[in-house]
Amino acid sequence: MNLATINIAAILPTLVLSVVGIVVMVAEPFVGEQKKSNLGWLAFAGTLAAMLSLVPMANNRGQWYSNLWIVDDYDVFLDFIFLLIAAITILTSMDFLRREELNHPEFYSLLLFATAGMLMMAASNELVMVFLGLEILSIATYVMAGFRRADLKSNESALKYFLLGSFSSAFFLYGIALIFGATGSTNLLAIADALRSSKIQISLVSLSAALILIALCFKVAVAPFHVWTPDVYEGAPTPVTGFMSVGPKAAGFAVLFRVFLTAFPSIEDRWGSAIWMVAALTMILGNVIAVVQPNIKRMLAYSSIAHAGYVAVAFAATSDRGVSAALFYLLAYSLMNLGAFAMVTIISRKEDKLVNVTDYAGLGSKRPGLAAVLSLFMLSLAGVPGTAGFAGKFFIFRAALESRLVWLAIIGVVTTVISFYYYLSVIVQMYMREPHDEFSDVRLCGSLKFALVISAAGTLYLGLLPTRVLDWTTTAALR
Amino acid sequence: MFSRPKHMEFVGSNILTIVTFTPAAGALLILFYNRAHARSIRTFALIITLLAFVFSLYLVARFDSSNPDFQFGVRVPWMPSLGIDYSMGVDGISLFLILLTTLLTPLAILASSSINDRLREYFIFMLLLESGMIGVFASLDFFLFYVFWEVMLIPMYFLIGVWGGERRIYAAMKFVLYTMIGSVLMLVAIIALYFIHGNATGTFTFSYPQIQSALASGRLVLSPAIELWLFVAFFLAFAIKVPLFPFHTWLPDAHVEAPTAGSVLLAGVLLKMGTYGLVRFSLPLFPHISHLFAPLISMLAVVGIIYGALVAMVQPDMKKLVAYSSVSHLGFIVLGIFSFTIQGLEGAIYQMLNHGISTGALFLLVGVIYDRRHTRLIEEFGGLANRMPVYATFFLIVTLSSIGLPGLNGFVGEFLVLLGTFGVNHIRAAVAALGVILSAVYMLWMYQRVMWGRVENDRNASLADLAGRERAMLVPILIMIFWMGMYSSYFLRPMDASVMKLLNQTQAGRVEYARDLNTFLSAQRRARSASPIGRSLKTRSASPIGRSLKTRSASPIGRSLKSGCAGSQQAGGADEVVRSALHVFAELTTPALQPFLRLRPIGLALRPAVAPPLLCEEGNVLASK
Amino acid sequence: MVTTFHYLLLGAALFTIGVIGVLTRRNIMIILMSIELMMNAVNINLIAFSNRLQQVTGQVFAIFVITVAAAEAAVGLGIVIAMFKNKETMNINEIDLMKW
Repeated sequence: MNLATINIAAILPTLVLSVVGIVVMVAEPFVGEQKKSNLGWLAFAGTLAAMLSLVPMANNRGQWYSNLWIVDDYDVFLDFIFLLIAAITILTSMDFLRREELNHPEFYSLLLFATAGMLMMAASNELVMVFLGLEILSIATYVMAGFRRADLKSNESALKYFLLGSFSSAFFLYGIALIFGATGSTNLLAIADALRSSKIQISLVSLSAALILIALCFKVAVAPFHVWTPDVYEGAPTPVTGFMSVGPKAAGFAVLFRVFLTAFPSIEDRWGSAIWMVAALTMILGNVIAVVQPNIKRMLAYSSIAHAGYVAVAFAATSDRGVSAALFYLLAYSLMNLGAFAMVTIISRKEDKLVNVTDYAGLGSKRPGLAAVLSLFMLSLAGVPGTAGFAGKFFIFRAALESRLVWLAIIGVVTTVISFYYYLSVIVQMYMREPHDEFSDVRLCGSLKFALVISAAGTLYLGLLPTRVLDWTTTAALR
Repeated sequence: MFSRPKHMEFVGSNILTIVTFTPAAGALLILFYNRAHARSIRTFALIITLLAFVFSLYLVARFDSSNPDFQFGVRVPWMPSLGIDYSMGVDGISLFLILLTTLLTPLAILASSSINDRLREYFIFMLLLESGMIGVFASLDFFLFYVFWEVMLIPMYFLIGVWGGERRIYAAMKFVLYTMIGSVLMLVAIIALYFIHGNATGTFTFSYPQIQSALASGRLVLSPAIELWLFVAFFLAFAIKVPLFPFHTWLPDAHVEAPTAGSVLLAGVLLKMGTYGLVRFSLPLFPHISHLFAPLISMLAVVGIIYGALVAMVQPDMKKLVAYSSVSHLGFIVLGIFSFTIQGLEGAIYQMLNHGISTGALFLLVGVIYDRRHTRLIEEFGGLANRMPVYATFFLIVTLSSIGLPGLNGFVGEFLVLLGTFGVNHIRAAVAALGVILSAVYMLWMYQRVMWGRVENDRNASLADLAGRERAMLVPILIMIFWMGMYSSYFLRPMDASVMKLLNQTQAGRVEYARDLNTFLSAQRRARSASPIGRSLKTRSASPIGRSLKTRSASPIGRSLKSGCAGSQQAGGADEVVRSALHVFAELTTPALQPFLRLRPIGLALRPAVAPPLLCEEGNVLASK
Repeated sequence: MVTTFHYLLLGAALFTIGVIGVLTRRNIMIILMSIELMMNAVNINLIAFSNRLQQVTGQVFAIFVITVAAAEAAVGLGIVIAMFKNKETMNINEIDLMKW
């Protein structure tokens, strides 16, 4: 093993994020209390710089560092999603941290490190790298979930996330160890080559594929491995919940697609039907249980489970079009869900007050602008035509039907109707109930406004003119 | 000859876009109004809808009645990589439905004077709703159609949910969820049709004319099982919207809770989308299955006619009475559509317009009295004719039009529908005619209880007669009632060409199918003894289904289908209708259910090898793809 | 003779003990230790395979796992301490503010 040519450009976004993260952390003690939010803007600038550095990265396609690191369109598109998620999360958190008197800029460092971990996951061509990326992401996110140290709910959320996260990591590791034993390599392409030859112990490989699948299903929160999600999402600080519901999920799916479609396509008959059942179960459970949730964060947690189910439908299609639809959906879902969580952040008060759906009563008459934006996100999550959610679902069901998964598509659309019930019930509260709050102390500062504008514009753009992005995801689809 | 100026050409080629999006543009502009200026918002909304009406008159003026194809077409690529276009066009079937929409919306806006709460949002939703409704009638691309079909739900949801009555939230939610459950399955069917068409012809497109012509010309042939499932998915969406008899339960709730303007548009236009969808999509795309299911659907329609009328008769609430009368009237429309005769179809389309106008007017009139008394209970009124003579006169004319008095619009439509149905099946027509009588009973009885007699209730003693605004919204309707009753040919003539074309397409399909079904039946009979499936069917012959399948060839439907080539469909009484429908269903689902029996966990094959082993022996067109 | 198979058996046994520990024990510290046990069971597997295949990758990976496990343990203990300050309990059943 020799470290081949060092190519800085190929890892530039990750490098930028890590360096900015360290700078923010080191600079913290030297910055006065009043200027701490400037470090937030610095972190935001870091994500923008990383986004810019995607350009030189995209010009260095290929495998680097002894085939550990791969740069392709798939990677670039996912990196773009991750950096967008990080940028919007930073914008949403600034005011939140000030309000909760938690203005510790480590938060931004952790966020940047977590994002760096996600970038590593998307770019890794090697299971060891996947594991490292996953852990960098997870460890940072555990801390972020428990960031409201004095609050028991936040502690509980962090603890549960930590226990189940490391539990599933152990499964992932065991799967890697077994596949290493069976094929003699942890490189995805080498594994794929080895699996095509006949001298492989197929039972060992299947077991390891199953363990890796279970571990990643934990990470992306699909049924039946979703039980931790609602508690963790409810207790974590709201912007972190928003981040967790899109970031690790997208990264988990990125790895799921990469590992299973690169390394394990030859044993698809062994995992294909498992994905089918996971997708169906996830869509049904997520949507049905979301209907009865009084807490909006919990409701959105179940809705995020349901959306993971839709992405799993695209996965079950196991086609280029499926991957492209999934990538599109991940972007669409990230935008609209982050928008929804930004809105929850705005409406909620200190220490997670006013996070029940009924607390939104009368928002439509008191703050029509905010209500209209939240309605947009809710309708998009439900999948009304003209919004990103519909375009995404349309592409997913199209891919599913192309792969002849008729029943999965039917389950998908029928559960979508169920989802209308709980998304519209937020709208019912906002427009059709009498207000019992003036919403007078709802502040809308610049950074939050910026976050809302980005997500709302993105939601509409992807809904009305999806062609350009869809073409991008089509070239980015693996294989 | 002089050449037309440039701007006229622009208008001519984009007129549909202009008509469709004028209200939406108006909605955007209302956003910039100060919410305090209630009066100017009202005026502005009215002007915008009148503008849309004027633009739609251009459609009528320039419409070429002899041309059966789509006119005023626009086609701009929207998502080219997916074969999705922004594509619109109008033919004789949709022309007057668009006009109906643009006519009823300004009237509905005039009827909104009692709305004072959140006025700006109210008019924004009204205008968006109008855009959505016109878009549904004008779009020629499946994707675009679906977008309008769904998007239009949202403003209606808000109109019912925010400005509705007591149980408005329940009604709004029920409305959305009911409509949604049908239409999402239609989306699956649309995507499936897209792939089937694309795989068969090589061009992946959502364009309705392209797919339709591929089907008509035989370049694309659907196997019976696929056609069945696609038909069912489309039909469910439309049947819920219509609403056909067992799917109607959302309608009374939505109507009763909606504000007056919402009820007018709901009854006047939204329900027509279901019947329009049946005419536009179900019939020409799936002619074989439409023919096979016609007895069953007609039976549901007849049940709906009688059921709606009977339930309407016992309603204490005027609005609910009108809502149930809609169920009855829509039954007529569906009956006419599935008679597959030119009279029946034209009558059905005519009846769509009539029902839009008469029922819209009835809701407006009920709204007038509700604004004054804040009740709609029939028992609260009595003797209104003494206090409000003009109102009573208007009400009488609309009532008579709704009943179908000769000389008024309702008569023409109902007569044509009954005429068309009578040629096909006497009993159905006779039972449906009973519905006409029942409608006279409940409408006149309500009129009598509300208008005649002495004023018993003191609160009715000082009611004011119609104000200028109210007359303004009712007079256009009265004009239409008389005009459509007297000069029906003015409206029927533009439909002729398009309806004939539609009928030719479905008729051609029907003859072909009858031929195919015979070969299909004989092939299956022969194969059944040989193939494993056949064996399994044979071993089930002890069960009632098995028996019915075996005796099928001797059953009336077998006969009627065979004689279907001759073109007459003289199936007997009601029980025969049921039996025939069951037979048809058993016949068709047997191949269709095969994939389910072989269901792998990974999912069901989209185009299951639908009994091709059986069909290919004969080189049957049905199986050849 | 101790073969690779025996090592794998040991690894599988330790991993199973760890899984059972996580699922049945109620003390947070013991759950943490069980997770560590699972990680180390994986390490035994990695080393055994590395030895059999005569490849160094497995050993390198094992070192990575040890490092990451240490980092994870540090964060995990931090979270437990933060929680212990607010509620003095080590029993996972008493941490039930939200529906589990």
